[in-house]
Amino acid sequence: MTHSSAFRRRSLATLAGAATVAMALVGCTGPSGEDELSLDGIIVGTTDPVTSLDPAGSYDNGSFAVQNQVFPFLFNSPYGSPDVEPDIAVSGEFTTPTEFTVVLKEGLTFANGNELTSSDVKFTFDRVVSLADPSGPSSLLGNLDSVEAVDDTTVVFTLKAANDQTFEQILSSPAGPIVDEEVFSADSLTDPADIVEGNAFGGQYTITDYTQNEIIQYEANPNYDGLLGAAKTESVTTQYFAEETALKLAVQEGDVDVAFRSLSPTDVADLREDDGVKVWDGPGGEIRYIVFNFNTQPYGAETAEADPAKALAVRQAIASVIDREEVSEQVYNGTYVPLYSYVPEGLTGATESLKGLYGDGEGGPDVDAATALLEEAGVTTPVALNLQYSPDHYGASSDDEYAAYASQLNDSGLFEVNLESTLWDVYSAERREDAYPLYQLGWFPDYSDADNYLTPFFSDANFLGNHYQDSAVNTLIQEQLVEADIAARTQLLEDIQDAVASQLSTLPLLQGAGVAVTGTDISGADDTLDASFKFRYAALTRD
Amino acid sequence: MSVTTVRKPSLLSRLPIVSHLRQSVGVQRGMLIAGIVISAVFIIAAIFAPIIAPFGFAQTRDENGIFGKQMPPSAEHLWGTTVGGFDVLSRVIWGTQTALSVVIVAVVLSIFAGVALGLVSGYLGGWLDRVLVVIADAIYPFPTLLLAIVMSIVISGGRSSLWSGILSAAVSITVVFIPQYFRVVRAEAVRLKAEAFVESARVVGSSTGRIMFTHVLRNSTRTLPLILTLNASEAILTLAGLGFLGFGIAPTSAAEWGYDLNRALSDTASGIWWTGVYPGAAIVLLVLGLTLVGESINDISDPKLRTRKRLRKAA
Amino acid sequence: MTLLPEAEAPIDPPPQPRRGGTARTSGGGIGLGRYILIRALLIVPTVFILVSLVFFLMRVVGDPISASVGDRLTAAQLAERLAAAGYDRPIIVQYVEYLGQIATGDFGRTLSDNRLISEVLLTYGGATLELVFYALIVAFVIGIPLGMLAAYYKDRTPDALLRIFAILSYATPVFFAGLLLKLTFSVWLGWFPLGGRASTRVQIALGRLDDPTGIYIIDAIRSGNSVIIGDVLLHAIMPSLALGLLTAGVFLRLVRTNVIQTLSNDYVDAARSRGVSEFRLVRYHAYKPALIPIVTVIGLQIALLLGGAVLTESTFEWRGLGFQLAQYLGARDFVAVQGIVALLAVIVAVTNFIVDVIAALIDPRVRY
Repeated sequence: MTHSSAFRRRSLATLAGAATVAMALVGCTGPSGEDELSLDGIIVGTTDPVTSLDPAGSYDNGSFAVQNQVFPFLFNSPYGSPDVEPDIAVSGEFTTPTEFTVVLKEGLTFANGNELTSSDVKFTFDRVVSLADPSGPSSLLGNLDSVEAVDDTTVVFTLKAANDQTFEQILSSPAGPIVDEEVFSADSLTDPADIVEGNAFGGQYTITDYTQNEIIQYEANPNYDGLLGAAKTESVTTQYFAEETALKLAVQEGDVDVAFRSLSPTDVADLREDDGVKVWDGPGGEIRYIVFNFNTQPYGAETAEADPAKALAVRQAIASVIDREEVSEQVYNGTYVPLYSYVPEGLTGATESLKGLYGDGEGGPDVDAATALLEEAGVTTPVALNLQYSPDHYGASSDDEYAAYASQLNDSGLFEVNLESTLWDVYSAERREDAYPLYQLGWFPDYSDADNYLTPFFSDANFLGNHYQDSAVNTLIQEQLVEADIAARTQLLEDIQDAVASQLSTLPLLQGAGVAVTGTDISGADDTLDASFKFRYAALTRD
Repeated sequence: MSVTTVRKPSLLSRLPIVSHLRQSVGVQRGMLIAGIVISAVFIIAAIFAPIIAPFGFAQTRDENGIFGKQMPPSAEHLWGTTVGGFDVLSRVIWGTQTALSVVIVAVVLSIFAGVALGLVSGYLGGWLDRVLVVIADAIYPFPTLLLAIVMSIVISGGRSSLWSGILSAAVSITVVFIPQYFRVVRAEAVRLKAEAFVESARVVGSSTGRIMFTHVLRNSTRTLPLILTLNASEAILTLAGLGFLGFGIAPTSAAEWGYDLNRALSDTASGIWWTGVYPGAAIVLLVLGLTLVGESINDISDPKLRTRKRLRKAA
Repeated sequence: MTLLPEAEAPIDPPPQPRRGGTARTSGGGIGLGRYILIRALLIVPTVFILVSLVFFLMRVVGDPISASVGDRLTAAQLAERLAAAGYDRPIIVQYVEYLGQIATGDFGRTLSDNRLISEVLLTYGGATLELVFYALIVAFVIGIPLGMLAAYYKDRTPDALLRIFAILSYATPVFFAGLLLKLTFSVWLGWFPLGGRASTRVQIALGRLDDPTGIYIIDAIRSGNSVIIGDVLLHAIMPSLALGLLTAGVFLRLVRTNVIQTLSNDYVDAARSRGVSEFRLVRYHAYKPALIPIVTVIGLQIALLLGGAVLTESTFEWRGLGFQLAQYLGARDFVAVQGIVALLAVIVAVTNFIVDVIAALIDPRVRY
């Protein structure tokens, strides 16, 4: 239980020797031994850097991973489910089409003893919107008009668009962590030191020690009274690594008990062979896809030989030739798995729309099918493709991933791929300027709802800017957004995926797997590796 | 193309090297020969890469199917395969082409930029000299790799193709090291300015440009071999550094050792050594070879120079 | 390959024209006081040019907002955020504003993790200092004896081998040396940790001390716990070795040439008899290495070590200024990069200044 069991075994002998020398050198005596170093609980290692402990100043995985442990949410997903329920609230529902009323539990307090009331909730959301920090999540609250604290436990959110079915999910997103108005500043981001000093935490854990991107120490928060229940382990320490290899060695040698995000494919494959650790696989929300620019792709609207039918045939032929399985295994060692639709597996409403439509019908490639598609549309082969990817934004394996696609496409004899890579700074600007006919992108969800994989991509106001526009799809998207009946909404979500799959605005390729590696004496990782994509330390225990 | 570009420096430097070899004795000769042999091996590898290399630098499969990634050294892949499924031996061999191309471009550029500036500044003096010296002094402590990174992004527009990679490495090295060449050549020019033969040329009525670029330049070329090999070594190290930091050339565009080292870093924790050790050793050996040649020539050709060098270093 | 150029010219460090150069152009025979003043004033333009250069270069590269959320916002949303951060204003306006901030001593806050630059510099400066200190020890212990050895065996086999060692220490990129060290001592032998400055538990224990200095070895000794001291030392071995060897090569050369110089003074006479101009001979005497105390050499090496430290820190996850510089560079956090580079520039410029002044004190001819 104490650290000594897990302490760097190999170093002990050397340690003692070096220490003796050092002690002799400095001629000091003192409390020798390891008592002072004992550390209860579990050590988690990660490479995901934190931008800000203050929720108003961050919109990234690393920061949200920390905020999830220590801040309460009005709505949150229970273990094992992507769908949300009231967390520190009793209820939340639309009382009028544009008014979403949340009733808080009675007698909530932050870890510092301050009362957690509707006033804190109003403060939290007003603050995110008014600060509108350039690195913050304010854009998630685009539909929020105003927040009203009716009484101590009742908050009314007035929305711009009525019946927004994603609003509960937004309350569980990076825009949703509730902060203490007595500690957080209303007009600027609050320093981590002040947050820790003020003990302004209301989630399952509090933070007792915080050194940004080095070490965070968590202690269970006795005042948390929400959906997820008390933490199973009293204290957890997170150590931040800059390199995946260092994290891998640390978990392998027992320096850390849990490694979560990210280990390289090579490391994961190696750890799977190691009896000293357990590798847990869960769903991941991260997806990778290729965007087709409808104006500049072969036969696109602004090319010399514009022809929508031929353009579609080209997209479909590419979808038929790509072998996701090979990339998943060869490049990613299973840390990314094939994705056959727009909504990743695990979420409510996920389908496998592309599986039946393209390739051999079972997910594999089929060059003959692709040839037939192109012939039917009268496309002369080989088709020249300019395929772009970014070597630095989605990990070093992008090089291998795209080299594999290029060689699959070339080997089919149907395409002649000119593969180019561009650093992210230029890439993210140029892709908006229609410079790339086909290009790589990735996505991590703001919240675990299928909508987050559809609206941003395929509605008329999508962020891709790839000139895809389909009024039928847009209508379906607007409908599901306000459809309160879960079954009916799921049906709509599936219809949207089927529709887009036949048009191929983008080509979904891979879905990240949530891989956690733990020591053999750690359990509970499987409880929290779910499609909420929130890894909660509170679920972990040491046997 | 690569053949002609690679052959050029060896032709250029053949005569001086042969004469140096003749002058040398003992250990000095041994070091020079070792340097020449090492450099020659790399130049030959670069010229004949298409013949020597068993596979292409971006080849991941042959008639027997996919190579597989991180395969340990075997009969088919003598040095194993990388995480990207490339043949390590082939990439090390093809990498010599990339490295030597950068060397050539960097050397040519720095001769034009650094040497010319130093000559003008040192010979003409005046306010131009003062301004240039202050600027050179200011750039001197600048983080060169940072400058190289920025330059490479500016030059390549972020694109990781072969020529943008080579050019950006070469140009950034030139920019970064102009101050150094500038200083060496400038000091030489200042010294030569006071020499009698320059004085007499001036009296005879030769134009300033003529004096600078014939008399002064010709007589300051003794330092050039050292500068050039230094520059060449730096070019290789900078290219590798850029590649290592992820600002280099895409693996499908060219073979580049720094890139391979970068990718090999994450292999180390799993005990996979062959992906990193070979390209790394190639960098070290090539730099060693070039430096040995440069230093030996420097020592042999001018013992006075050696002393002066020493003095400066200590100062 | 290092971030600062000083580390890259161990073979023939260029002459220091700021002595011979600027001082010379201002005419011969100036007083010591005036020389020091001119030399001190030169620090200002040096740092200014550098800071300006970093400012403009970093803005050409990209911005932190696009770098982090460029793949999830619409063009309009992105533009809104860029405007909120003020990056859409003319660059010259931003530049003037930045200069104003710097003039008042306000380095601003990092963009990628919202920390005060001054706090970043303080927090991580200690770590870099510690690494540089260790590396200096390694460099001294290895470089000086070997340099003397090489000089003693001048132009014989041991000399050749030692010189090749010196070239190798320059030819081996730190990241490759790091890879080899890690592979051998961490992965295969398991002797030393792969990276970092201390184990998690030790790091926490050190953080709990009253007023931690951030220099781990001092904190560890203060804690008086042998396990902590051992752990901290163990973590320091590989990075110190990597950076120390790089520097040891330079030391070796310096010592070798210095010693040979003093051993062969009659060489100067030989040169004179061959008709070398008096001018050059005077110059040699002016720079007579025997007069330059070892302190001066160390001073020059500080800049070199700082440069080498940047890559060494990144290679071994040694969380010092260099490590942070690389991280912030990756996040396109230009405010942070500017701050760190400015500090490094000031340190290098001031060190060079001190070195020059000491040299001038020792040998008046330096400031002619």
